Amino acid sequence: MWKGSVVRNRQKALNPRVVLVQQLAFLILLIGAWQFVSGRLIPPFYISNPLDIAGVIWKWLADGSIWVHVRSTIVTLFMGYLVGAALGIGLGLALGLSPRTERIVAPFIAALYGLPKVALLPLFVIFFGIGLVSKVALVASVVIFLLFYATLAGVRDIDRDMIDGLRLMGASGEEITRKVRMPAILPWLYTGLRTSLGYALTTTVVSEALSSNRGLGFLIEYSASQFHSAGVFAAVVVLLVLSSAIMVPLGMLERRSKPTRLSH
Amino acid sequence: MSHLQLIRPEPATGATPARRRKISLDKVAVDFTTRGKTFRAVDDVTIEVPEMQFLALVGPSGCGKSTVLNMVAGLLAPSEGSVTYDGAPVEAANTRVGYMTQKDTLLPWRSVADNIGIAFELRCRKANAAERRERVAEMIDLVGLKGFERHFPAELSGGMRKRAALARMLIYEPETLLLDEPFAALDAQLRILMQQELLRLVERRQMTVILVTHDLEEAVLMADRVMVFTSGPGRIRTERDIPFERPRNAMELRFRPEFSAIHEELWSELKDEFAASVERERRAQ
Repeated sequence: MWKGSVVRNRQKALNPRVVLVQQLAFLILLIGAWQFVSGRLIPPFYISNPLDIAGVIWKWLADGSIWVHVRSTIVTLFMGYLVGAALGIGLGLALGLSPRTERIVAPFIAALYGLPKVALLPLFVIFFGIGLVSKVALVASVVIFLLFYATLAGVRDIDRDMIDGLRLMGASGEEITRKVRMPAILPWLYTGLRTSLGYALTTTVVSEALSSNRGLGFLIEYSASQFHSAGVFAAVVVLLVLSSAIMVPLGMLERRSKPTRLSH
Repeated sequence: MSHLQLIRPEPATGATPARRRKISLDKVAVDFTTRGKTFRAVDDVTIEVPEMQFLALVGPSGCGKSTVLNMVAGLLAPSEGSVTYDGAPVEAANTRVGYMTQKDTLLPWRSVADNIGIAFELRCRKANAAERRERVAEMIDLVGLKGFERHFPAELSGGMRKRAALARMLIYEPETLLLDEPFAALDAQLRILMQQELLRLVERRQMTVILVTHDLEEAVLMADRVMVFTSGPGRIRTERDIPFERPRNAMELRFRPEFSAIHEELWSELKDEFAASVERERRAQ
């Protein structure tokens, strides 16, 4: 007799409720181990401990001081994301439809794309001062390239034969744009928007840590400068909750979308 | 099987008018440039297709047959010579023709039914929803895709996609059909059925047709005239009228001795070209 499940269809489907209980148990075990190790094997100066961290978070929530940082991070993230996405898509469409110009500027765009954008932050601070605008500019400078290349790839991927096919049926230019060009680049935009959101969040936190007086990035940096490890971990936990709140629904959305509709 | 509603009126019975020249290619040549090398795909091709004629072009692959269709469709300009349609030079996409390319151009984000009905969404062929639904259902029935209306092209086999593309073209009944290997991906039984259906439609609607195929049997069964192309550069090696009656029963025709005789005659011309094309490809390697 076979032991285990060699045959595929005999594999038991995992009960989601059981999985959830196991995941919770794993989390509790992890936190318990952390609490146990701290002060016994590793000094709390380095790793703090879960109870202290919970205490800090509770304090932040109780006096409401955390919200200014959470709000600042969210505002920076989405403003930078939207500005960068709008510019990137616009530029991608413009250059995608005029290949001659695209060929001229392509190497310059590629060079800028390769540049680590964080290096531009001091420049943005000189331009816009310390505050929301310089951070938004940095986030946008990251997103713009990702959306630009996604859009450009989408425009280039449009099948000429599909356009010709519709043109022979008597479709006008506007009808071809509406029925072929736009639906054809939609999945590319979707992918670009999804991947760039993660980069946008990273850049937001970095910009806050480097030059700001609010935001979760600032809170992490500030706590570290005070050697307040519980504060660092507490801010990281808040960031973790925030990023999950943004990313998890996105992943669920992706699973629900029908691949046959979007892919070729 | 087919009970198409008619867009164009049935022709009045009586004396047939003199057939006008529908499509004409005059001493056409096409050069392509790839990797810095220029080669001639089509050379000195002159074809005249009268209205309502069914012309078949046969020849080995790569002999420029599809290039001829591209020129008639207005998607490609000849390097030399001229192409005219209804007496006027073809200078832009020719919206009088229905073109079924070798590669299907179904839109991957649309279901089979929505692909087939797309012609009715266009400015020039607006129809009300009920009429559109009815016509799409008829077309789906005609090409045997019942039950697959809501499928997407990626979920269909190659042959089914071909049939969907055929339905998409036939639904608006263009006056001229350009068909590039329309039945190549179909299995033998289905091919015979589809050939017969297409013949019936073409005869009823009095369409002008250019069919490109490497299947000589198909060419002789369906066409009024067959042209054999040489392998690269494509020239016309020979042409022959196919004298069978219209309307034609392709299923029965293939068992007649006259059919075999014509098939044999053309095959003797064609087989040299196939051999030459194989030889050319071998040397190119």
